[in-house]
Amino acid sequence: MNSFIKKIVGFLFFSLVFYFVMIPLWKNITPVYMQPNLKYQIGSFGHMFSRIQEVKKQKGDVDILFLGSSHSYRGFDPRNFKEKKTFNLGSNSQTPIQTKILLERYLEKVNPRLIIYEVYPGTFSSDGVESSMDLISNDKNDVRSLKMAFQLNNIKTYNTLVYAKYADFFNWNKDFKEPIKKSKDTYISGGFVEMKHLTNTIHKFSNKEWHFKDNQVKAFNECIAFLKKKKIKVILVYAPITKGLYQSYSNNDFVDHFFSQYQLEYYNFNRLTKLNDTLDFYDSHHLNTIGVKKFNKILLNTLKL
Amino acid sequence: MLFNSIDFAIFLPIVFILYWFVTNKKLTLQNGLLLLSSYFFYGCWDWRFLFLLLFSTLLDYFTGLKMEQVKTQKSKQFWFWLSITVNLGFLGVFKYYNFFIESFAAGVSHFGLQVNTTTLNIILPVGISFYTFHGLSYVIDVYKGRIKAERNFVDYAVFVSFFPLLVAGPIERATHLLPQIKRERTFNYTQAVDGLRQILWGLFKKIVIADSCAEFANQIFNNSAELSGSTLILGAVFFAFQIYGDFSGYSDIALGTARLFGIELLRNFAFPYFSRDIAEFWRRWHISLSSWFRDYLYIPLGGSKAGMLIKVRNTFIIFLVSGFWHGANWTFIVWGLLHAIYFIPLLLTNQNRSNITIVAQGKLLPGVKEFFQIMITFCLTAFAWIFFRAESLSHGLQYIGGIFSKSVFSAPFDFEKISYKATLILILFLILIEWLGREQNYALERFGFKWKRPFRWLFYAFLLFMIAMFVKTDETPFIYFQF
Repeated sequence: MNSFIKKIVGFLFFSLVFYFVMIPLWKNITPVYMQPNLKYQIGSFGHMFSRIQEVKKQKGDVDILFLGSSHSYRGFDPRNFKEKKTFNLGSNSQTPIQTKILLERYLEKVNPRLIIYEVYPGTFSSDGVESSMDLISNDKNDVRSLKMAFQLNNIKTYNTLVYAKYADFFNWNKDFKEPIKKSKDTYISGGFVEMKHLTNTIHKFSNKEWHFKDNQVKAFNECIAFLKKKKIKVILVYAPITKGLYQSYSNNDFVDHFFSQYQLEYYNFNRLTKLNDTLDFYDSHHLNTIGVKKFNKILLNTLKL
Repeated sequence: MLFNSIDFAIFLPIVFILYWFVTNKKLTLQNGLLLLSSYFFYGCWDWRFLFLLLFSTLLDYFTGLKMEQVKTQKSKQFWFWLSITVNLGFLGVFKYYNFFIESFAAGVSHFGLQVNTTTLNIILPVGISFYTFHGLSYVIDVYKGRIKAERNFVDYAVFVSFFPLLVAGPIERATHLLPQIKRERTFNYTQAVDGLRQILWGLFKKIVIADSCAEFANQIFNNSAELSGSTLILGAVFFAFQIYGDFSGYSDIALGTARLFGIELLRNFAFPYFSRDIAEFWRRWHISLSSWFRDYLYIPLGGSKAGMLIKVRNTFIIFLVSGFWHGANWTFIVWGLLHAIYFIPLLLTNQNRSNITIVAQGKLLPGVKEFFQIMITFCLTAFAWIFFRAESLSHGLQYIGGIFSKSVFSAPFDFEKISYKATLILILFLILIEWLGREQNYALERFGFKWKRPFRWLFYAFLLFMIAMFVKTDETPFIYFQF
């Protein structure tokens, strides 16, 4: 029995070493379709790499910091906030777990007077894995990344983090430069990503409900507590999505009730705007440039900024 | 609690340690632990069904004792039929009640009659088909005098509910498993290591092969009306490997887990996709069920000793019952019927036992004839699997209609987000390893035994790495749990 247990422990250790050796090899020698659980994509969709590089070079305080998902970095255009200095730290499907890390890393750097936190309910219902891989791939990884990986406890996040640590350590990305224009996206200084005038094709959505995850709610509470401690004003904003998508959720009242309980200003712009599902969006989630202009104007008026 | 879950990865070592370090001094304690952990394992699905399992166990246990105690044949028959009726009654209610009611209503509606039917919202207790068949085999064996009735209730209850086999088999026989439960068990290093190796291979087949195939098979079957014939063929192939990886993977984990406790379960799979005809396929696929039907249905009906007409009738009965055992749906019955149709020509020409040896034994590659025989048998089984997977008969027929269309000559549909190239490579890897290991009980049993330990470990670590690379982040249940 002793020999059996020793061999098991020995094999597990051997497998662990093998795993750490294989991750970079596998990433570099096999085609992408053989890596479904290793999603290291520097300079991926959404210009997160450019945003992180810019925030690191940020000098001086900003008036407004935007946080949230792609609804944030595609919804708040700094050019529409002319008199204010803004920065957008939104990222793909950014859940409160990732928001918390970004705040811990960069809040002092930008030292905002106001935070407009875009709270898309989908990010509270998400496991946060997709967003974790976006963040891990495009930012340097510290002990917070490891904590996030343990918190999410997902093999995709672990694999991606292991590879990212190699990339950080050996500086594999030192020459990487992300183009400002990618496909139909253009990165605008200040963290915004512009999608030129495209219109949306209307889809039918099946009825569903939002179900918030406990770990996301916990992380959100921690973010809010952290910002309160720093005495930074926070405004929660539910940015517009198409009416078709919005109305497909039967518990939107629950969402409003949930965010209202924080004793912060909360605005659901799906109730405050009358945008056109076809002409003001380029898909069911994202506003096009015309939609962004309209939304930002209403936002500025509503928030009296 | 699924075999491919973190819960099981915690549960198994705990039971293992308690079994060999705490209760190892006394067999009764070991069996008590196995019983408790089995009931805990089963209760994790739905604790309410523990009562059903307990009732079924008590019924068969007392039936066994009563059949030995009573003096007249009539009384013995009474107890025997009571147990059979109640066992099959439970199975009928939980598994087939709605099917019969709905089929009856649909049948009479063809004659213009409308009947008010009441269907019940019945949850199928997981594993009911498996533990009912355990109990039935025991009662039949005691009735026929093949074994003595078991007097120790704990031992009997472990036989019925031993957690590795409780929810999806293999369907054990009292003659095989009970003596092992009653025997003192000492830790056997070779057996335990072999068990772990089989678990590893089972996990690989389930997590890497079956779950990868499922991703495409589900998409293709769910959208079959819009896809080309070539894509539908690909879907049928993916499902064939999904169900093989899923069920044989489950069986490997079950057998390997039992080995960790010093117990050998019946072999359930023997490389069925290397079969050269359908008869051989059925000697290699879900062996414990096929042999159960052979011993408890086919032979009592007259078996192969009767005339040709009776043999043909019995073959149809066996395959139809086998299809129906899988579920209350006409698709399973048609699946069974198709296999009967494949089998009958072999029976009529006395060819049903012409391929009983291992294919290309001692050779690296099969002969040309063997290769084509294997391919044809695979195509026939994959074709039948279409009905097994289809939602309804009309769906199955529509799927087959789609295959036999002009679009079969077009390139398969390119799924944008996920590439099936990886799945095809993984299937080829599976075929390679299984082919090399086909002379063993399971592919990995002697694989790399001539290699030095570091190389062998490298291969096992590679399998673990592949699991880490391909595991789906949501737990995916085993297909056979629904039966």
